[in-house]
Amino acid sequence: MIAELGHFALILAFVMSLMLAVLPFYAVTRHHSGLMHLVMPVTLIMAVGVMVAFAALVWAFVTSDFSVALVASHSHSAKPMIYKISGTWGNHEGSLLLWIVILVVFAALLALRGQHMPLRLKVMTLGVQGVVSAAFLAFSLFTSNPFARLSPAPLDGNGLNPILQDPGLALHPPTLYVGYVGLSMAFSFAVAGLLDGRIDRVWAISVRPWITAAWCALTAGIALGSWWAYYELGWGGWWFWDPVENASLMPWLAATALIHSISVVAAREDFKSWTVLLAIVAFSLSLVGTFIVRSGLLTSVHSFASDPARGVFILGILLVAVGVPLALFAWRGPQLAGDKGFDLVSREFGLLVNNFLLTAATIVVLIGTFYPLALEMINGARITVGPPYFDATFNPIMGALVVAMVVGPVMAWRRGTLPALKTVLLTAGLATAVSVLAAVVLATDISLAGIVGLAMTVWLAAGILADVGHRLGLGRKGVTAAAGRAVSLPVWGMWCAHFGMVVFLLGALGNGLFASESVVRAKPGDIIPLAGKQFVFSGVEQRQGPNYVTLTAVLELRRNGVPIAVMTPENRLYTAERQTTTEAAIRPRITGDDYAVLGDGDADTGYTLRLYRKPLVSWVWAGAAMMAIGGLLAAMGRTGKRRELAQSSGSAAPKGKGMPA
Amino acid sequence: MKPARPTPPKSRIRLSFLLPLIGFLILAGFASVALISTLSGTRNTGQLPSVLIGKPVPATPVPLLDDVGQSLDLAGFAGQPVLVNFFASWCAPCRAEAPALALLAERVPVIGIAYKDKPADTSAFLDQYGNPFAAIGVDREGQLGFAWGVYGVPESYVIAADGTVLLRHAGPIDRRVLETKLLPALESAK
Repeated sequence: MIAELGHFALILAFVMSLMLAVLPFYAVTRHHSGLMHLVMPVTLIMAVGVMVAFAALVWAFVTSDFSVALVASHSHSAKPMIYKISGTWGNHEGSLLLWIVILVVFAALLALRGQHMPLRLKVMTLGVQGVVSAAFLAFSLFTSNPFARLSPAPLDGNGLNPILQDPGLALHPPTLYVGYVGLSMAFSFAVAGLLDGRIDRVWAISVRPWITAAWCALTAGIALGSWWAYYELGWGGWWFWDPVENASLMPWLAATALIHSISVVAAREDFKSWTVLLAIVAFSLSLVGTFIVRSGLLTSVHSFASDPARGVFILGILLVAVGVPLALFAWRGPQLAGDKGFDLVSREFGLLVNNFLLTAATIVVLIGTFYPLALEMINGARITVGPPYFDATFNPIMGALVVAMVVGPVMAWRRGTLPALKTVLLTAGLATAVSVLAAVVLATDISLAGIVGLAMTVWLAAGILADVGHRLGLGRKGVTAAAGRAVSLPVWGMWCAHFGMVVFLLGALGNGLFASESVVRAKPGDIIPLAGKQFVFSGVEQRQGPNYVTLTAVLELRRNGVPIAVMTPENRLYTAERQTTTEAAIRPRITGDDYAVLGDGDADTGYTLRLYRKPLVSWVWAGAAMMAIGGLLAAMGRTGKRRELAQSSGSAAPKGKGMPA
Repeated sequence: MKPARPTPPKSRIRLSFLLPLIGFLILAGFASVALISTLSGTRNTGQLPSVLIGKPVPATPVPLLDDVGQSLDLAGFAGQPVLVNFFASWCAPCRAEAPALALLAERVPVIGIAYKDKPADTSAFLDQYGNPFAAIGVDREGQLGFAWGVYGVPESYVIAADGTVLLRHAGPIDRRVLETKLLPALESAK
């Protein structure tokens, strides 16, 4: 009964989305104010319908209603409650529905809020959001109905892929989806702006919080995914250049370019057509990111959701959702171009460099992900390019970006430099020179790549700190609370996000340069030394989990012979699914992680143990978290700007001062 | 409600604004072809010509994974056909072909070349997906791959008993490739 209710609610939402896809454009062309105001309730009914449907599906999973085919094939009564709930989106149909939930919630938020925006823009943006919702609701209803019944109902379910039974899975997809789908708002604003022929400061300030929110969620989602892969896949790495990871990185790079270029539109009404293009591209890339996985086009470890038969529908949606706006851009874009002109030494030029590098990085990842596909089309070979390609192409571009990150924020709009530029460059340059010299003298075995990485990190850290010090008036009058308040919240956000990059780089470098590892065949009683510590292998035992049995190795970690921890890497056999997973034992510390994995083996020949020391690796995710927090600070600091806009809606006087990059 | 804005002045379509659309259509074309061939089941049948066919294998020394002091010696396998498989731990399709390689290893020696991969990662990969290889060479910098003309991984070569290259297959080995291509080639090489 509940499942039928959910199905009905989903159909209702689909009808509403069809209405939403037509009504706003009709109302705007007819200048019909009453119809325009009807758009908001239609949006809300659509959102409520989808949410009811999703709640019904969660209910079916929670109560283990195996007469619903999806629950029968993806759940099991013996599963812990949290994985029954997260199992709702651990499959194609459910994750698609979650995706749509977020899509309509974003639309509903815009319908409820956004009083400060011009009504035309708001209504047309909701209309574009309605078109996207209609497409995906149709996809869900006609090809991936989550409420299909199964008769007779089986006694128990097939279970969820064990690798997905993990706290990381409960959080990673929803967060990532908020990021992906949040970019749909940027997309809808861009298309509405193109249709309206009006991209200005008001447009930029209205769309900006949505972009920032999406970017923060995307950053957090990617970091969660990387963390999940680190501890669940048991490979000890945090990034594998897997097609699915690339699919989330591409929209992130485009969105990062977007939050920088939107500041030029907001402050100077320049970079307009470019920003619109980025908004379209960023969401297109997240569509590719979400759905390329499901089409079976690319081979990947994340292939749990692939089904080529659905690919046709997805490809159709992609063709329209990306092709039509790009055609609109080709037609209307030239009218937006308003060259304001700026000097070589200006904030605009800094942001141009930023956007150029981020776009180049996006293209590099795009080529690396799709080149194998293109090659296959040409001669049938099916290959991967992998890390060697990305190390050679992506890393240098990001290196250049890090160098530019110091210079950009200390330049003024239009022309000329802020007084900070000289101080900042001098401090950063000096610090870099000193640390490189120290590294060469002290660490004789450091590689060239290591020195370059270290130099970049120090350059960025010193550059940001010098900028902070200069703006707070350090050295002149000492740090005062007043000086701190004089710096606006968005600037603090920028510093936080940029310094997150420093923390991230330290993690990546520490782990990349100084990691040690040991792969041994060990018997009980063996002592394996690694990076100044000793692992004492005391044997393997069987243990019983809620829905699995394990083979657990017991390792005592000692420093100078003193026991400091017991580590228990496991191999789990999930009884319902008859699948095994590897659970690494990790001892995370700020200075680095000890990481142990149990391989195969038996009592006679010993067991394979893979032991790692990964210095600073958790800084990788801490850095990403700082970036996300920085984004939130910037968004919070701009609520006043939107209120001001509500009072004088339409005024386009640029007030560039104090706007962060 | 705001008054309607005057229609913007007409302007000609500019090439730079068309480029994104053109780029997208090219990508979409590739994706469509890939999807259609996936659906119709004609995908993954191609074969890359290799200049090495009929010639002896290039002799570029690479160290063994198990013993870095020694180098991989393909001549040691002379007198019987062998399969040489370029793989890497970072390669997703290589994981997919692990079962097929295990099947092949029951019939002929399969020699693995760990292409541009860290030895520890290779070992971890073999732990997880099984080790079908009679010997594993470490091609850390990819010189051996360069000498063989490897496009990417995975890539496999059938070497005849006399040490000449008989066949190249780029891409993962699945059941169909195994039955229609590699096994007949190995059969003819005996």
